[in-house]
Amino acid sequence: MFVSDEDLMMRCRKGDIGAFELLVRRYQNPLINYIHRSINDYHRAEDISQETFLRVFKSASRYEPTASFRSWLYTIATNLCRNEIRNRSRRNTYFFEDLVEEGEDVYHTEIMRDTRYLPDVLLEKKEQRQMIRKALAQLPENQRVALTLVTYQDLRYEEVAGILGCSVGAVKALIHRARQKMKKLLIKAGIGEERVDEKI
Amino acid sequence: MRKYRQTKSPDICSSECEVLLATPDELSAYIDKELPAWKRHLIGWHLKKCKICADRVQRLQQTDGFLRHAGGVEVSDDFLSGVMARVSEVAQHQRQHNALRSRVARFIETSFGWTRSLSILMGSLRYNIRTRSPVYIFVLTFAVFTMVGVTLYPPSGDRLAQKSHELELNAEKLISFEVIQPEPPKRLLTTYLQAK
Repeated sequence: MFVSDEDLMMRCRKGDIGAFELLVRRYQNPLINYIHRSINDYHRAEDISQETFLRVFKSASRYEPTASFRSWLYTIATNLCRNEIRNRSRRNTYFFEDLVEEGEDVYHTEIMRDTRYLPDVLLEKKEQRQMIRKALAQLPENQRVALTLVTYQDLRYEEVAGILGCSVGAVKALIHRARQKMKKLLIKAGIGEERVDEKI
Repeated sequence: MRKYRQTKSPDICSSECEVLLATPDELSAYIDKELPAWKRHLIGWHLKKCKICADRVQRLQQTDGFLRHAGGVEVSDDFLSGVMARVSEVAQHQRQHNALRSRVARFIETSFGWTRSLSILMGSLRYNIRTRSPVYIFVLTFAVFTMVGVTLYPPSGDRLAQKSHELELNAEKLISFEVIQPEPPKRLLTTYLQAK
């Protein structure tokens, strides 16, 4: 039987840690991926995800099921990501422009150094993935967040508007601009129209 | 709330495109199925006829496809256990905190028994104010108006008293005038008459 997120949170409010564990299981993958796409650092993404879940648990006693749990979770995560990005820029450490592939990406690059055992298609796909991630990281923060939430987390425009604190119309504009920019960046990187045309 | 400038697409193909796609953002919303059914149907019908728009939609869909194709990272196995360990720590801390709080509350309750009756009184007062607030507001307003009225326009009895007080003062002044202006001494008059 499927139990909704809100019901699980209500059970968690009463002190049921098992219900919270179920919520973590449900959201750990999408949340880490979302944060990873936002800050492009796997280890920090794990830390921030953990912090997000902890904040959710701490404020479970005050939780009211008026808004969707998913929006609330992503709002917390987005705020933490923004803090992280702000801290990084304050510390003058590397940012999206100086992409350092970490976590799984390091694993991929290590494999790619030795291309003897990899078929060309597989290598090409992995390269393509990296390029797409790099292009995504080049988008302005709000556009990236909006596009990531809609494309990968399947959130509605209304939910994204709630998370970003802007109108639905603004979200529509953000996503369209993000797609346009992504299209240009992908073409520049050699992915996109030319290859699509070739396929056609 | 931020405002974003709406830009018009330069390659709107015809007047129909302009009517259907008031802003180019509508195409992205169409892909994401975020438009109302009637508009979605209208754009779908238009895309069958307009090659330029159909091409634009196709390109946007391709970009979206590439993005989705990018995949994601796998969560490490110990992530869940790490989160739950920290959560149980926090839960234990919260439990201790709650226990301490209840102990303090019990101590206060036992040592200051009167606070209970005071809190009951305050509760009932709060309830009364909440439930009978219109009556209280009316009474308060009436009292304020009365006080202001009394200050600005004192009652008539007071006025009479004030008037009589003023008369008394005038009479005193009159008496004092008479005292101040004495008659010329008789001796002086007689000397004057004698000199004449």
